[in-house]
Amino acid sequence: MASSKEQVVDGPKDFGGSSDMAELKHRYKVSIRGLDAWFGTKQALKNVSYDVKENSVTAIIGPSGCGKTTLIRCLNRMHEMTPGATAKGQVFLDNSDMYDRKVDPVVIKRRIGMVFQKPNPFPTMTVYDNVAAGLKLNGIKDKNLVDEIVRESLEGSALWEEVKNELDEPGISLSGGQQQRLCIARALAMQPEVLLMDEPTSALDPIATSKIEELINELKKDLTIIIVTHNMQQAARIADSTAFMYLGELVEHGPTKQIFENPQKELTERYISGKFG
Amino acid sequence: MGIDRIRNIIMDMAKLSEHSVLTAIESYEKGATAKQTIFQWSEQLRVLQDEVSDLAIELIARYQPVATDLRFIRSCMEISYGFSRFGRYAYDIVDVLETMGSISDCDKSAVLEAATTVREMIRMSVHALQSRDKDAAQKLYEMDDTIDTLYRKYLHEIITPHPKDDRRLGDARCYTSALLILRYLERISDHACYIGDSVHYIATGESSPRR
Repeated sequence: MASSKEQVVDGPKDFGGSSDMAELKHRYKVSIRGLDAWFGTKQALKNVSYDVKENSVTAIIGPSGCGKTTLIRCLNRMHEMTPGATAKGQVFLDNSDMYDRKVDPVVIKRRIGMVFQKPNPFPTMTVYDNVAAGLKLNGIKDKNLVDEIVRESLEGSALWEEVKNELDEPGISLSGGQQQRLCIARALAMQPEVLLMDEPTSALDPIATSKIEELINELKKDLTIIIVTHNMQQAARIADSTAFMYLGELVEHGPTKQIFENPQKELTERYISGKFG
Repeated sequence: MGIDRIRNIIMDMAKLSEHSVLTAIESYEKGATAKQTIFQWSEQLRVLQDEVSDLAIELIARYQPVATDLRFIRSCMEISYGFSRFGRYAYDIVDVLETMGSISDCDKSAVLEAATTVREMIRMSVHALQSRDKDAAQKLYEMDDTIDTLYRKYLHEIITPHPKDDRRLGDARCYTSALLILRYLERISDHACYIGDSVHYIATGESSPRR
């Protein structure tokens, strides 16, 4: 049996994108260069460039409609699935441009997982099947291997101890916080290298939020995490780097301590201090 | 609202601590007695320092301030400590005067020279706080060097053996009181510098290493 620690989900490490930015190799996990995005004729992202270090947590903050969610949806090519939505620019995963025409978006989505604002377990599936669904879709049929990955993913999302005797119960029978960790387990089962999280705790109570934040801190040992949050204190607590966006532009980014203690741009200071408008 | 309240307390402390030190120096210069009054002011400054700390903790807990607000609140805790120390050293100065008895016949020139600079440093630190003058710290440290030099020079002078009939330093009451008061002025000078550091941090976000 193959160890579940090995990559079991098909997908090349180098997915064939251009690698003309050789200097980025091994320096950053994700590098965004001159990224523009539109919904029809409305531009949602304007020339965004940003580098994300491997095994770090990056928080993206900014007021509603500033382009935070659009940005992270561009990072696993989910943006273009919206009718009328387009993107232009370069996004490098390691040293390959995921927007290269030769790249299969499905491969990108395997390597870059996503967790959404509202917990969305598959409603008709059990806890077990929610985690195993992606594996089965990718053709993994070895029951022992799937069992192992399901367990490791649930352990990785700090849910195993709470659900190990309820694996056959419906996923939606769990509490909101457990459902969100189930969604994280589902993403982890695909063994992603990057995890995108779009306001993952906005629907959760403080205890569930705290568990997710602790989990993020653990997960970054193996993953690179990019999180969109409206909660300034959450960004300050969990992120190594923070990026502030406004009207589709990346206004300022830097180490979280610097952004919250000594921002360089007045706009950033006004936003994080709640003195906007 | 909380920030305004903390700012008002700090400015009250600035005025009271400045007044305490000036009154103590005047007592030394003119031989007046102000021990009880300065003790009350010193206690008042200590209470106000506690009030600043309590308010700062409350603001951090309730509002999670960031950026300039956070730097200001953090600095206010340090600044209020500095002003509280001004009050305490002012009391220590008048306490020396009472302990030593009359020192009207002593040479007070060394202390009064240091006092002139320290008085200016207190005013400068308070003004820097009001105007958020990030450059005041540098000037304050330059003045602090002068105070340190005066203190060390006087200390060196009294520990250097003198002929028995050398009366330049006066009797033990004179040089002991002068040395103690110079020491208190030297500490006040240090705290004025720390206030300058805090103002620099509020204005720029950059911490200065303690010199």
